[in-house]
Amino acid sequence: MIEQATIEGIIRILFVCIIITAAYIISTRNLLSVVSVYSLQSLTLIGIALALWSLEGSIVLLEIAVVTFVSKVIIIPYFIATIQEKIRIKRDIEFHFLSPTTSLILSMALMLVIYMALGRIIPGRDSLFFFGAVLGISLMLMGMMVTFSRKRTITKVLGFLSMENGVLLFGMFVTELPFIIEFLIIIDLIILVILTTILSVGIDSTLEDYHKRLHRFHLLDEPEEVP
Amino acid sequence: MIVELFILVILFLLAGTIFPLLAASLDRRSIRTISLSSIIIASVLLCGLSLLTLFSGEPVSFALYQPLSQFSLSFVIDRLASFFLLIIAVVSACVALYFTEYIEHMEGQSRRNLLCGSTSLFILAMVLVVASANTLSFFLFWELMAASSFLLVTYEYTHDETRKAGIFYFIMTQLSSLFVLLGIIVLYVLTGSLVISPLSAASAPLATVAFLLLFVGFSIKAGIIPFHKWLPYAHPASPSPISALMSGVMLKIAVYGLVRFLLDVFTPDLWWGLLILAAGTASAVLGIIYALKEHDVKGMLAYSSIENIGIIFMGIGLSVIFTATSLPLLATLSLLGALFHSLNHAMFKSLLFLTAGSVVTATHTRDIEHMGGLAHRMPVTSALFFIGAVSIAALPPLNGFASELLIFMSFFTSVAAVQPLFKVLLFICLALFALTSALSAACFVKAFGSIFLALPRSPECAAAREVPRAMLIGPGILAAACIFLGVCAIQIFAIVGFSVPLPDMLLVSLLLMGMAALTYALLYFTASREVRVSETWGCGTLSQQASAEYSGHGFSEPLDIIFSAIYRTRTTNERTFFDQKNCIFEKGKGEIRLLKVFEEYLYNPLAQQSLYLAGRISRFQNGCLDTYLLYVFITVIALIVFLGWFA
Repeated sequence: MIEQATIEGIIRILFVCIIITAAYIISTRNLLSVVSVYSLQSLTLIGIALALWSLEGSIVLLEIAVVTFVSKVIIIPYFIATIQEKIRIKRDIEFHFLSPTTSLILSMALMLVIYMALGRIIPGRDSLFFFGAVLGISLMLMGMMVTFSRKRTITKVLGFLSMENGVLLFGMFVTELPFIIEFLIIIDLIILVILTTILSVGIDSTLEDYHKRLHRFHLLDEPEEVP
Repeated sequence: MIVELFILVILFLLAGTIFPLLAASLDRRSIRTISLSSIIIASVLLCGLSLLTLFSGEPVSFALYQPLSQFSLSFVIDRLASFFLLIIAVVSACVALYFTEYIEHMEGQSRRNLLCGSTSLFILAMVLVVASANTLSFFLFWELMAASSFLLVTYEYTHDETRKAGIFYFIMTQLSSLFVLLGIIVLYVLTGSLVISPLSAASAPLATVAFLLLFVGFSIKAGIIPFHKWLPYAHPASPSPISALMSGVMLKIAVYGLVRFLLDVFTPDLWWGLLILAAGTASAVLGIIYALKEHDVKGMLAYSSIENIGIIFMGIGLSVIFTATSLPLLATLSLLGALFHSLNHAMFKSLLFLTAGSVVTATHTRDIEHMGGLAHRMPVTSALFFIGAVSIAALPPLNGFASELLIFMSFFTSVAAVQPLFKVLLFICLALFALTSALSAACFVKAFGSIFLALPRSPECAAAREVPRAMLIGPGILAAACIFLGVCAIQIFAIVGFSVPLPDMLLVSLLLMGMAALTYALLYFTASREVRVSETWGCGTLSQQASAEYSGHGFSEPLDIIFSAIYRTRTTNERTFFDQKNCIFEKGKGEIRLLKVFEEYLYNPLAQQSLYLAGRISRFQNGCLDTYLLYVFITVIALIVFLGWFA
């Protein structure tokens, strides 16, 4: 058996990984790597869930780890990577309100504010659960920053997914999210990604126009009809 | 019994509302008659109910429906409520009687069914406002009253003038509702209850805020200057019976609200009374000065309503002042004067609006300069209007005299009892009140003279005929009420248990009638029987011309000169030239028009500022998803900060 102190140490290291991945998602311009980093962030969450399971022995944490792995490490990244491949956009260089540097600085300030605010509400500043809560909310807000500071829909979706990771982290440490809710959230996320696939090529067009767009983004292999 | 009667009233009024709406597409007189009959039956029942409570003095409380544990649709019918219910009942019955014929002369075919339904709903809302026992139901029914009256004002929505009036009315009435709602919220914060109950002495600062909010809310609805501007727009635009209901009853609901909260909730300060008195005096004086200048008969009556509401507010203001200075008898006297004038104003103003409606229907014009000579063509309407004019001019022995005399008596008596500084203030108000009464008499001499006397000034006027009998019965009852309330004023007060320092007008009236009969008899038996037929001397002209008559404008010209500082004019001229150096004149237009002071210096700047502010705020709604997400982000952070440091 691994000692409790060692597990707590591992969890703290995983916390740092979460911060690094969140910072990367906020600041990078490379779209291809964002999906990989998102997978890594989800994998880190799985690591945290497993570490907590070894501490508490709750079976729900194991279930969460399995579902997260299937959905957030395999299915969702696969879908997004497919979209990226089809639409052939590799870089996201358009920003709204905040540049990547400003976003990073604001994220640091946010973490500080949340740390101080939660410090007044939740007792025990040194506990693992306190840090989990702070990181969960920070990750949520950093994900939200991505949703409004990026113009590309695909990056917005990734921001939203990152937000959900924050909710999961907060749920694991503070409120113990019921498994069924976590499961439903994941179904929502998968639907969101599928919808994004449709929106990326345009749901507002007519059927003919839709076909043209499919051709333009190389999503349809049939030869384009010439009028 | 009271409860059962009240439920019956509600049911009849609901029937009057729903039935014509169900048959909205059918243009049949029978549908409208059934709806109006429901109103009449409900009004008669309401009249009986209110008289029972008024004479017994026993308040009746009951709840009809309780949707929430903290809130129920509960009602209280005490003496104050029953007094105002009586006003609603009498005026509604007379208006519904008049409406049965008037509505058939209106445009709109099946839309007239909706007019009947809305009228019934409007009356129902007013009844429920007055009977409400808690602030929430008071506000809900207040809003219902505002919404239904808006439908009534905009009945002839195809006319530009009506649409403008409707929008103006809607904004003002919603502003009134907003202030009333804020006042109610402050009261709830103070008491933690929705029941209309007295406040504790410890809640003074917030109580003042609540009073000011409610005062502004009720003042807007009552048409107190400077919140009066909706009246001269809404009344001419509305059908005449609706104007009668709005001016005769709806304005009194605002008075009721103010009196109810002052008596049952607040412990008023002295300056509250001074504020009400000042607002009332300003409204009374300016209202009648503007009425003198008005040539639209319904516009003139609207301004006259502002004047009379001002007089009522003066009475209420005096009552608050005397309560605060520990003079309870004087406080009761002035409050009785204000309430009695509310009743009287409801009677004579409804009478005047209904008869004015008859005149407008017969002549197809509202401009009194195009009327004249109607006394021969519409003798009964003319006599009814005359009774209304004499009442509103406060001439004895009619009811306007009795109520104004009560307020005058309050002034006279108080002068001996209060401190020197107040004496000066009360003398000023008294002088302005006296001026108001004199100007009111002048205004209605002008109105009656221009409309009914001399020769007709337009072909339509010359062809006018007396209106059908149904349109005379309603005003007839109101005219009888004006005479009865004036002649038997002291007896009425005695029956309800108040002793007031009024002369016995019944005795005076009998003496006057005796004198008149004696004079007539003396002349009948002593005067020559020879009949001489000749035309009135007309300055030596060969034939009498309507255009040579003394016009309404001419009559009020001396007063126009005296009050020229108030009747400010604006001269405008627009010129265009053929050349760029402005040497060769092409065409031009010059205009001298009466300045709408409140509209141009208060309403328009406020509206412009509101539009500017709305424009700035609307930038927040830019249709960009990212911006909305940013708002959510900021809100979440603000919540976290609030929870961390302030919660």
